[in-house]
Amino acid sequence: MSAAHSPTGETDVVIVGSGAGGAPIAARLAQAGLSVTVLEAGRVFDSAEHTPDETTADLYWMEERLSGGQDPIAFGANNSGQGVGGSLLHWGAFCPRPDPRDLALESETGLGRDWPFGWDALASYIEAVEAVVGVSGAMNYPWGGSRFAYPPVMRNAPAHAMEKGAKAVGLTVSDAPAAVLSRDRLAGTTPFRGHCINCGACHQGCRTGAKGGADNSFLPMAVASGARIIANARVIDVERDVGGRIKAVIYRRHEQDHRLDCRALFLCAGGVETPRLLLNWGLGNASGEVGRNFMTHVATQVWGQFDADMSMNRGYPSSLISEQMVRPRDADFAGGYLIQSLGVMPVTLAGGFARGAGLWGAPLVERLRNYRRLAGIGINGECLPHDDNRLTLSDEVDDLGLRKARIDFSYGENERRLDAHARKTLTALWAAAGAQDIFAVARSAHTIGGCRMGDKSDGAVVDADGCSVEIDNLYLCDNSVFPSALSANPALTLMAVALRTADRFLHRTRTGDF
Amino acid sequence: MGGKFATLIAARAREGAAGLSGLVGVVLVAGSPPSPEPMDENRRAEMLRWFDDPAQLTEKAQKFIDDNTNDGLPEEARRQAIVDFVRTSPEAWKGWLAKGSREDWSAQAGVIALPCLIIAGEDDGDLREAAQRLKNAPHFRTVDSAVVPRAAHMIPQEQPDHLAELICKFCQTISATALPVQFVRLMASDRVSDRTRCAMLARHSGPGRTDGSVLSQAQLGVLAAVVARILPGASEPSDLARRLDAGLATGRGDGWRFADLPADVEAWALGLDTLAAAEPKFARLQGDVQDAILRAISTGDFDTQNEPSRLSANGMRLWFEDVASEAARLWMSLPATWAQIGYDGFATGDRGPLQGYQETAADVPEAWRLPLGSVR
Repeated sequence: MSAAHSPTGETDVVIVGSGAGGAPIAARLAQAGLSVTVLEAGRVFDSAEHTPDETTADLYWMEERLSGGQDPIAFGANNSGQGVGGSLLHWGAFCPRPDPRDLALESETGLGRDWPFGWDALASYIEAVEAVVGVSGAMNYPWGGSRFAYPPVMRNAPAHAMEKGAKAVGLTVSDAPAAVLSRDRLAGTTPFRGHCINCGACHQGCRTGAKGGADNSFLPMAVASGARIIANARVIDVERDVGGRIKAVIYRRHEQDHRLDCRALFLCAGGVETPRLLLNWGLGNASGEVGRNFMTHVATQVWGQFDADMSMNRGYPSSLISEQMVRPRDADFAGGYLIQSLGVMPVTLAGGFARGAGLWGAPLVERLRNYRRLAGIGINGECLPHDDNRLTLSDEVDDLGLRKARIDFSYGENERRLDAHARKTLTALWAAAGAQDIFAVARSAHTIGGCRMGDKSDGAVVDADGCSVEIDNLYLCDNSVFPSALSANPALTLMAVALRTADRFLHRTRTGDF
Repeated sequence: MGGKFATLIAARAREGAAGLSGLVGVVLVAGSPPSPEPMDENRRAEMLRWFDDPAQLTEKAQKFIDDNTNDGLPEEARRQAIVDFVRTSPEAWKGWLAKGSREDWSAQAGVIALPCLIIAGEDDGDLREAAQRLKNAPHFRTVDSAVVPRAAHMIPQEQPDHLAELICKFCQTISATALPVQFVRLMASDRVSDRTRCAMLARHSGPGRTDGSVLSQAQLGVLAAVVARILPGASEPSDLARRLDAGLATGRGDGWRFADLPADVEAWALGLDTLAAAEPKFARLQGDVQDAILRAISTGDFDTQNEPSRLSANGMRLWFEDVASEAARLWMSLPATWAQIGYDGFATGDRGPLQGYQETAADVPEAWRLPLGSVR
């Protein structure tokens, strides 16, 4: 821990974080000829070293966060990641497109918040991301038609059960869009990737490379264009010039501090770490909006027991989807939810049953002992921003001397109504599928908001281009900039927003507006 | 020499080497240590010359027996020992004395998380009980020692019945920890990576006496009683409690905690103390009475008498959620549990070509998989 920041370097752009926000930006800016340095807090992973063992897998952000509110969020293995590739090392690869209606929820319902751009501004970027990461899916997808480069991956046993139940209750389902290769992909602009082997350990890290992640797509592309990725590098501070612009980033690596001079900084550290760093540094927060509008997804699950040997840990977990409830006809709430089949590994399942269903004693043990006969379905549902849901700083500090994040979160009326609707829908579906002893597990997923994208006039933290409304060479790009949660899982949308942010930055650079 | 090899093979089992995952314990009989074997240098020099003259081998064999036994051997054993000695490869004999016995492998041996029975002959020379304690015992986490009277170094030939009895007793005590054979075979196969196997074996062994601990004996007792109600009939509650304690002691959290609770170690201790203060006899109550108390805790209705040094009713509710979740996660992470529930998701490929699952539909089996229901 030297006071003098010994080695000093220089780069056009520093990107903090190598996941779904940082990696696409790194690739695009490096391809445009800029010198790019990516700082990643975690280590480099060789895909062959990943292990399906839940307790051993070390891809998760495990530094302590404090959770408050009526519905405290469980962090740890469920949320942020660490390692070159970020959370995409452990993401579920569930790859639905954002529903255009969700991007304008406020216009539609008067609730939530519109995005500063619509589907038309995002569509080409979504397609570009899908082409890079490789998406498998149905030939005739009911919500958007044929658009997948690869045929669907194999359905797991819960998916077959979900199809049966859906048919009985009149719900449309389909093989899910998954960033998982059903066939080998030869090396090209990205490295060779083997097909999915149905090991079911997506959340512990993909060993064949079938799962699309930053580590096998945008990061190799960035490196091929000259970008530098520094692993095990923790950003601890920034330096600003007299005008308030960022002029250098200080990071700690192997107990030594380094300074990196830069022309622009992209903070892509994840939905919690980005607002946390800004609050710690007192940066870009003149409006007091940093940390506000913290959201997650309502991710309730419904479980049941089947007569058959389901062994739900086999195969890609989320292999079946329904987008029909993105706007339920009988909704008494704004927005909607996606439904998916599940496949959950034993340790995660046990924690979910204990926390989310309040199970203990014989009811817990009996269900867990029946692991191979269990199967579940779950949702990913809209979550509206709320004044009380907020990321602030705790008085406790971490090993780097930065104050820990405290996240207060409670469901509002809209989330409670959506949750009730989903429980009813899923329970009926699961009963029709032949499940017995049906019960629900309360759960939330993903960290969203905290650095809202919007207009300077309405107190947003970044503008539609991802640029801080206060500091014109500070860009943010991760789930924290999402103005609303959307019913779709965030990664595909985030990667598209990242490519758009990079293009907007390049445009500003070329036009001298920078 | 056998002892040195046995210890080093056990160390490879610890590192997850395929084929060794069924190892549940080690018995060292007058065993040479992984470090250089203590040996008088004059004796070493003399013994190095024993195989130089083939004509004198029988005489040397007799001397070897005299030197390494308390009071010679019965006639039949003596004859066999002489035959064995004469058949010895001179290169191996010299190799062991000049090199192998002098090599230091103690770093590679490390500390092995397996129970070990260390047997010493009462009249053994350089490898008697004191040397065993000094040289071999530190390499095993759990050690039982036994001294065989009227024996020196050749215990199997000198006191075979006594030795057999000791080994049988040891096997009985450790067999409870053995994983079922079918499970061990799958774990040992090329479907499991060394990293995964190593992690599973370490978890199966659980924490040792020297692993960290942050809870007092009293707190551990209450925790075991609570865990027994959270997971009735699942696994030995005191073992689960000790594992949870050792987990807390590592200081590695799970990435978050309730903002309304203090840091994990403090919160767990406080929760246990709060329960013990309000229900001093908790651990000795009937199961249904314990359940009623835990139910009140889980719903936030536990009366903690507003004692400021304890957790509040709401704090106890959150504490119980943490304990229930951590206990359930722990139990479902144990290889012994996986054997009981037929979970085989750990066996989906090593570093080479990855096997995964061929079948993902319900009720479609694969030859390699564990059967539905527990395995033996």
